Amino acid sequence: MAASLYFAFTDYDILTPPRWIGLANFQRMFFDDARYLQSVTVTVVYVAIAVPLRLAFALAVAMLLDTARHGVSVYRAAYYAPSVVAGSVAVAVMWRQVFGTQGVINAGLAILGVPPVKWLGDPDLAIWTLITLAVWQFGSPMLIFLAGLRQIPAELSEAAALDGAGAVARFFRITLPLLSPVTFFNLVMQTIAGFMVFTQAFIVTGGGPMDTTLFYALYLYRRAFESFQMGYASAMAWVLLVVVALLTALLFKTSGRWVFYEAKEGR
Amino acid sequence: MSRRCGGAVLERAGVIACMVVMIAITLVSHTSRFAAAQPAASPVELRIAWWGSQDRHNRTIKAIELFQKKHPHIKVSYEFAGWSDYWTKMTTQAAGRNLPDVMQQDYAYIAEWSSRGLLASLDDHVKNGTIDTRSVPEALLEGGMVGGKLVAINLGSNSQCWVIDLDAFKNAGLEPPAPTWTWSDFEKIALALREKLGIWAMGSGLWGEQLWGSLYLSAGQWRYSADGTRIGYADDKPFVDYLGMLLRLQKAQALIPRPDELSSYNVDTQGVEITPLVTRKAAMAYMWSNQVVAVWKAAGGDERNLALLPLPRVAGGKAANYLKPSMFFSVTSQARHPKEAAMFIDFFTNSIEANELLMAERGVPISSKVRQALAPKVGRSQAEMFAYLDRLSKDVQPIPPPDPPGHTEIVKNVYVPQVVDPVAYGRRAPDKAAALLRQEANAILAAKAKR
Repeated sequence: MAASLYFAFTDYDILTPPRWIGLANFQRMFFDDARYLQSVTVTVVYVAIAVPLRLAFALAVAMLLDTARHGVSVYRAAYYAPSVVAGSVAVAVMWRQVFGTQGVINAGLAILGVPPVKWLGDPDLAIWTLITLAVWQFGSPMLIFLAGLRQIPAELSEAAALDGAGAVARFFRITLPLLSPVTFFNLVMQTIAGFMVFTQAFIVTGGGPMDTTLFYALYLYRRAFESFQMGYASAMAWVLLVVVALLTALLFKTSGRWVFYEAKEGR
Repeated sequence: MSRRCGGAVLERAGVIACMVVMIAITLVSHTSRFAAAQPAASPVELRIAWWGSQDRHNRTIKAIELFQKKHPHIKVSYEFAGWSDYWTKMTTQAAGRNLPDVMQQDYAYIAEWSSRGLLASLDDHVKNGTIDTRSVPEALLEGGMVGGKLVAINLGSNSQCWVIDLDAFKNAGLEPPAPTWTWSDFEKIALALREKLGIWAMGSGLWGEQLWGSLYLSAGQWRYSADGTRIGYADDKPFVDYLGMLLRLQKAQALIPRPDELSSYNVDTQGVEITPLVTRKAAMAYMWSNQVVAVWKAAGGDERNLALLPLPRVAGGKAANYLKPSMFFSVTSQARHPKEAAMFIDFFTNSIEANELLMAERGVPISSKVRQALAPKVGRSQAEMFAYLDRLSKDVQPIPPPDPPGHTEIVKNVYVPQVVDPVAYGRRAPDKAAALLRQEANAILAAKAKR
């Protein structure tokens, strides 16, 4: 870590000793490197879309499982499975096949008479295949939501129902507030994970087409291990670390306004 | 949280395992130094790495088994991958000071790798006969020299080529083109094939940086200046015209569209056997001549009637082809067993038995003895490859200088993402793209030259 902080201020290609260049790496990053800014945009868009979608999906499935009477453990395992293999190369390779020009999705569309779509070749669509992949891997937030739902006393809901509150009202007035600490935890974890996404883009799209899936971590890796620019890559890594830390701090700061801790309320 | 703890434990276990291995290696290398004096040498573990197709992997592994049989005290461990994964892997290993003893190298990379001090000089091994070059013409070794030092041994001669499906041409009622064809001939033929057959005429994208180079070679120039500090041509027009032609062909569906190429027919990541010519979805393909054997095999072997042609030329230009050492073996400077590594390279170069297994899959062998021994035994695809290089050698350009350090960055950070991709997707005009390429490439080369 300390070494990489030092490298961030150097020009270092691994084999010749690092050369001190002050803030030049950062200057280049923020002002001269169009691809860097592209990678920031792509990553922010991905986090802003994929994380809320994944959480919403996870919560929906968790609520379904919460109402099920039998075989919950079987479903739980089945829905968690994609997340176990989440970061794995095999899933990414499978995803590439599924969304390939001759993949399963297009075969399905062909039956409906829709012409094949170039999911991975179209600059406007490629990021969505990766977002779909992210949403599909909703298992771990789902488990946490499920555990959270089990903590909510059934009496509260029943009492509200007797008072005439509908399902929607019960969800927004009771379930969601009581679940907010769990939601908060999930949000923080998923946001951090979102900024570091790498494998999916590396395998499925390779950052293309036209850099529309060039995630921050992928670009960092390219600079480090394809162009031998360890100094620049270290600077990128530190910027990412600082941004993620600030964002997490911001989430914690605002959490007081919407996260409801039962214990605090006058017992 | 528990996952994190597990990670830390694993990491610690990994560090301990690494230390154990390091100690073991130190012990082994010490003992082997002692054992050198004794007749029964203790086992040497040699690491070898290469990129290639499945066919190459199978053949190389067989040759390695033969080598181990001849040298029972050497145990070879090997790693292989596709082209782009290979280079990522090797640069990572270089950073970790963990390169294999023998690595496959490419003409595009030897200057850069050698300038970083990653490749060992082979001159001593040649002088003392560990690597026997007596049946190799001097000219075929030259490609492996950097700054007067031999750092890589050529594994076969090679050139770019057009593979054409003669049956498709016959079905379309077209004559195969003459070997001196031009890019405008190519455009006409491609459009005619598309119209008659309804398939892509050209199944390879033609957006790659190698064609950018060949284009200027045919115009009697080269893409970089002789000292490698700037772009070597004054006029962007040939490149602009070329990009414009690709756009017209792509629009007419005569050229595989870039989105299809990237998503489903990406030869760089999926291997050359994926090219649509194999499944008759295209009538032509562009590749290196040493890839023809694998492609022909994947396409159905002897039942396919394929032929090899030189690259198209610019109007009024010279030949666009040059003979290139297809790839090299180098001994890395991080090698633990340089002598055994040199022995392995010698075996690959001179052993007739080994070459009967390898069957010129890496290109036409450089040893005249091996070539003579192989000639009567080759199949149809190798025979066409040998004959193509013979035909070519009568009208061919001298090999251009190795690409300067900085070339890789130009290709990965400028040429692909900022030049050809935006053009292929219709988001940047060819003339703007060519101007941008000149500007950015000059900046990168100048920065490298200053260091």
